[in-house]
Amino acid sequence: MPLAYISDYSWEAIVPIPQDDGGENPLAPIAYQDDYKTATGYLRAVMSVEEVSDRALQLTSDLIFMNPAHYSVWAYRARLLFALKKDLEQELIWIEEVGQRFPKNYQIWNHREMIVDKYDNPIRELPFIEVMLELDSKNYHVWSYRQWLVRRFDLWITELPYTDRMIENDVRNNSAWNHRFFTVFGKGVDIAQSEINDEIDYAKRAILKAPQNASAWNYLLGVLKRAQRPLSEIEEFCNDLAAVTTTAQSLNVDIDRLASTRALEVLADIYAGRREVEKAAQAWTLLAEKYDPIRENYWKFKNRRQVSVSWLQPK
Amino acid sequence: MTAEQNTVHNEELSVVDSLITESSTTEDEVARMCAGLILDGQLTVLQRQLHADFLKIPMSFQLPPNYTGLDASKPWLMYWPLHALEILDPDNQTDDILSRIGPSIMACLNGIEGAFGGGNGQTAHLAATYASLNALAISRDEQVWSQINREELYKWLMSVKLPDGGFSMHVGGEEDVRAVYCALASAALLNIITPELTEGTAEWISRCQTYEGGIGGAPGNEAHGGYAFCGLAALCILGNPIEMIPQYLDVDSFVHWLSARQYQPEGGFSGRTNKLVDGCYSWWVGGCWSILEGALPWITSTDVLWSKADLQKYILFCCQSPRGGLRDKPGKSSDFYHSCYVLSGLSEVQHRYSFRPKLRGSESGGWSFMWTYELESPDIVIIDEQNVVGPLNPVHVLPAGVGERMHDFYAALGTLEL
Repeated sequence: MPLAYISDYSWEAIVPIPQDDGGENPLAPIAYQDDYKTATGYLRAVMSVEEVSDRALQLTSDLIFMNPAHYSVWAYRARLLFALKKDLEQELIWIEEVGQRFPKNYQIWNHREMIVDKYDNPIRELPFIEVMLELDSKNYHVWSYRQWLVRRFDLWITELPYTDRMIENDVRNNSAWNHRFFTVFGKGVDIAQSEINDEIDYAKRAILKAPQNASAWNYLLGVLKRAQRPLSEIEEFCNDLAAVTTTAQSLNVDIDRLASTRALEVLADIYAGRREVEKAAQAWTLLAEKYDPIRENYWKFKNRRQVSVSWLQPK
Repeated sequence: MTAEQNTVHNEELSVVDSLITESSTTEDEVARMCAGLILDGQLTVLQRQLHADFLKIPMSFQLPPNYTGLDASKPWLMYWPLHALEILDPDNQTDDILSRIGPSIMACLNGIEGAFGGGNGQTAHLAATYASLNALAISRDEQVWSQINREELYKWLMSVKLPDGGFSMHVGGEEDVRAVYCALASAALLNIITPELTEGTAEWISRCQTYEGGIGGAPGNEAHGGYAFCGLAALCILGNPIEMIPQYLDVDSFVHWLSARQYQPEGGFSGRTNKLVDGCYSWWVGGCWSILEGALPWITSTDVLWSKADLQKYILFCCQSPRGGLRDKPGKSSDFYHSCYVLSGLSEVQHRYSFRPKLRGSESGGWSFMWTYELESPDIVIIDEQNVVGPLNPVHVLPAGVGERMHDFYAALGTLEL
């Protein structure tokens, strides 16, 4: 039994426009369900005359539930909502339903951004984002939306504690770390050195929980670089984690105690920055041959160039 | 160069954290699954016929109703399998298939806006326009090429250009670095790049590079393999990559981040820090390597900076679906998207690309069509003859020569008054 398109509105007076896939024998035709075929026939008809009506709005709701990736429907829906002066809070509630039904769909975020911007009130946003990040704590589009929201409504105050909580849940959640960097540096105001110190300590504590966690290391190194602080500031920290002791000419690694190969990598950059060529070469050779052999070519390249991450060419 | 370069790394890393979180649990599962499929020291065979049969489905049958979710991506449903079929074996591309591309794509043209949408009667969209033009390039159908109104398409591109230098996907749509890449790649094929179109765009891309070294979807967003490719390839369209890349990206931190994308023991690439490997990044990340290695001779003269042998291992052992087609990882189904980008990744493993500015003269808009290739040396990766796939253009992700031909067609028509 084919699925008929059932609507609360009358569609009798409208002439649906059938889909023309091109030619006698088009590529990639889809065997649509009957309800979708009928509804998109009406969609092409109302969109072609840019009809502004409640039935067109209802049609967009129905189509979004059949195919939430249909971006033309979303864009048309936004135009209709504004033209019909619809209650935007109702729309936000509706989007929440769609979001939970189709958690991977990303068209909703651009749509919600337009609605919230016009609604001019972020009251429903953080709870909704929370629900969506519970479904997928690394959902790229949700985090991007959160950045937009924070900027738009100046919500910076909530963000550091929020990333604390997300990082507490999973110290390897790189999206949360990225959001933390955005929170600290995205405001575009000068940052007190004390705040930088807090962030360095925060990252170090996270590294001690899981010394191989690239997210925390990238954050630590990113903060140092942005704050124009020298890598040598974390040399002792790295010595401990890489179980390194040094003499003037060479380094000694206690292989059984080494907890972080990334610490060894940072040390190599520190040595190279000081032109301690031998020591840097030793560290890179260990990475290439023992600790990170899949990236052997990269470590050997670093050694050949003796270029440290701390003296990069400026952008 | 040493002979060890072409060896693979199947053993687990020696230093591993004991703390368990959601990220580490999923990573351990995938590493275990992949390790179980990878056979020591053996090369497995690319199942050409099986993949070709899968890729020909959109050319031979009506796709079942569960493809409705891709109803706003029809040009992609053509470009992905067409590109994959051609690099798999050019003989797959029959005259019958090629002749059906033109009408199928032109049905997606939004005649009022002047650019392509995700299907018949849909709103014009940059991703759809990019996929449409790529599919038309593969068609070699000059009659259809001459039907495209480039003035109208240019006007539409300017209508989605934003004051900050970026582009939005459609009128009122989201702004991201994908949109930038799709706009510029489309304009390059049609030879309609102007200073007005590209003003402020390289600077905008530069703002998308994050503290990790990779590129995010928009300024502030997390570094991501797909966006990294889009940003890097866009710079290669905007000008001479030898100058553009170091001018707008911090190359050392970009390379550092890129290098961290390859995982042991899987051999494949992840798209973000602490995320899982996925076959599609064989292209998005591998394509970045192709471009860097080909454009910046100081990055590499004879060596490559990553393990091609390990990526080839991941692709052949873990990404081939037993039912045909390529996939994200073991346990996932194959699809056209992954088939396209996994096979492109395999092509990238097997070839060495070089940017040669003198190759074709430096007429404006032609920067992305000056790439040559050669088969990779056996010192870097051992390639079994039966596994070889064709070369491509690393900026446009098209079979080599195809985009060049389309660009030359429009270049020969002379400059438009834009």
